Amino acid sequence: MKQTNDDIRLLLFMGIAVMLSLFASILLIFIFFQRKKYQYQQKIQKLHQTQQNQLIEAAVRSEETERHRIAEELHDEVGAILSASKLHLQGVKINVIDKNNEPRYEKGQELLDMAIKQVRGISHNLHSSILKEFGLNEAIRHFTEKIANNDLIFITTDLDDSYTTQTNENDISIYRMVQELMNNILKHARPQKIHITSVYNQDALNISIFHNGKGLSHAQYEELKFNKQGLGLKAIQTRIILLKGEVSFNYKPEGYYINISIPRATTI
Amino acid sequence: MEQLIEGISDWSEVWALLIPLAILCLKKKQPAFNKPVVIYLWTALAINVTIDVIWKLKTIIPRPFNTNNYLYNVHSIIRLLLFSSFFIKLNQQFLSKTKRIVPYIFLGLVLINFTLYQNFFDYGQLSSRLLSFEAVIMMFYCMQYYLFKITEDEEPGRKQPDFWVVTGLGIYYTVNFFIFLLYNELTIRLHNFAISLWSIHNFTYTVLCVFIAKGLYETNE
Repeated sequence: MKQTNDDIRLLLFMGIAVMLSLFASILLIFIFFQRKKYQYQQKIQKLHQTQQNQLIEAAVRSEETERHRIAEELHDEVGAILSASKLHLQGVKINVIDKNNEPRYEKGQELLDMAIKQVRGISHNLHSSILKEFGLNEAIRHFTEKIANNDLIFITTDLDDSYTTQTNENDISIYRMVQELMNNILKHARPQKIHITSVYNQDALNISIFHNGKGLSHAQYEELKFNKQGLGLKAIQTRIILLKGEVSFNYKPEGYYINISIPRATTI
Repeated sequence: MEQLIEGISDWSEVWALLIPLAILCLKKKQPAFNKPVVIYLWTALAINVTIDVIWKLKTIIPRPFNTNNYLYNVHSIIRLLLFSSFFIKLNQQFLSKTKRIVPYIFLGLVLINFTLYQNFFDYGQLSSRLLSFEAVIMMFYCMQYYLFKITEDEEPGRKQPDFWVVTGLGIYYTVNFFIFLLYNELTIRLHNFAISLWSIHNFTYTVLCVFIAKGLYETNE
C-alpha cells in the first residue's frame, strides 16, 4: 500500500516536472522564433526604407536637373533671342512720317524689356546661381528681398552665419522648402509680417518661419501633405524625408511658426 | 501567522481574480476577443466565492449542501467554454474548424460521462476526469496558438495581449494536468496530501490571474 502511494506521488511530481519542462521548451522555442522573425522584419523594413529614400532622392535630384536645364535654356536660348530682338528693334529708325507709329514702337520695346526681365526672373527662380556661389543664407536673403514689398509685406531675416555649405544638393532641398513655404504663406496666409530665423548647433540646422497671417496647424498639414491638390506640401514632405528632418506647424498668440529641423549628419 | 498564511492561500482563488478585475476597471474598453475572458472573470469570482464560503461554513451548513465539489465541475465546464470562445474569437486562420468543433465534443463527453459513469453532484469528490479532459483541450488550444503565431506575418513591435492570456493558461494547465488526473485517487489514498497539493493549484491559479491582468493591461484599445 505504502509503495503504491509513493509511486503515485512520484508519478505526480514527475508528471508535473515533465509537463512544465515541455511547456517551458515550447515557450522558449516560440520566443526564439518570434525574435528571429522580428529581426528579419526589421531588416526588411530597413531595406524598404532605404529603397524608398533612394527613390525619393532620385526623384528630387532629377527634378533639380530638369529645373537647371530649363533655367539654362531660358537664360541662354530664349534670353539671347529676346536680347537680339531688342538690339534689332533699337536699330529701327522712326522718322517724322512715322510719328504715328512711335507709341507702338515704344510699347514694343517696353514689352520686350519686360519679357527679358521675366525670363531672367523665372530662370533664376528655377536655378539659383546665388545658392551655388554664395550659399544658403545669401540665397534665402536674396529670395526674401525679391518678394518683399514693404508697403504690403514686411520680411526680415536673422540667419546663423556659422552655417557653412557642405553638400550643395541638400542646400538646394532646404532652399526649395523655404521657397515653397514662403510661396504658400504669400498665397494663402496673406500676412503683413514674415520673419525667418536660423540656428545652427551641434545637432541640427533649425529654420523657423514666423508669419502673422492665417496659417496652418500641424494637424491640417498632416491632413494635406499627401493631398493631390496640395502639391507644394507633398514636395516639402518628400524633401524632409530625404534629409531625415522634421517639419512642424505651430500656432502661438503672436502668429504661426513653421519649424524645420535638419540633422547635422545630413547637412554635413 | 500560520493561520494568516493559510487564510491567504485558502482565499487565493477569490482575491487572485481581483487583480485582473482591478485592471479591467482601469482599462474598460477591451477588444472583442477579450469579452469571454471578462465574462469568465466575473463568473469565476461568483463561483469561487461560493466555493470558499461553503468550505469555510461546511460545519454549519447541513450535510447534502455542505459540499463544493460540484461547483468545481461547473467552473471547469464554464472555463472551457469561455476560453474556447476566446481562442475562436482570436480569428486565427489555423485549425479553425477543429477549434469550433472541440467545445461540442467536450460537451458530448461531459454528457456521456455524467450520465453513464459519474455523478455530477458527487458529495465526496470533484470529477478528475472532467478537469483533466479540460486541461488536455486547453493545452491543445495553447499549442495551436503558438504554432500559428510562429508562422504568422505580423507587424513588428505590436502589443500582444492575447499572448499573456494564453501563456497564463499554458502554465496553469501544464502544472495542474497531473494534479487533476490523480486528484480522485489521491483523495482516497492520501487525503491530507491531496488537500495540501491544492495549494499548488491555487498558486498557479494566481499566476494565471496575473497573466490575464497583464493581457488586459496590454490591450491597444
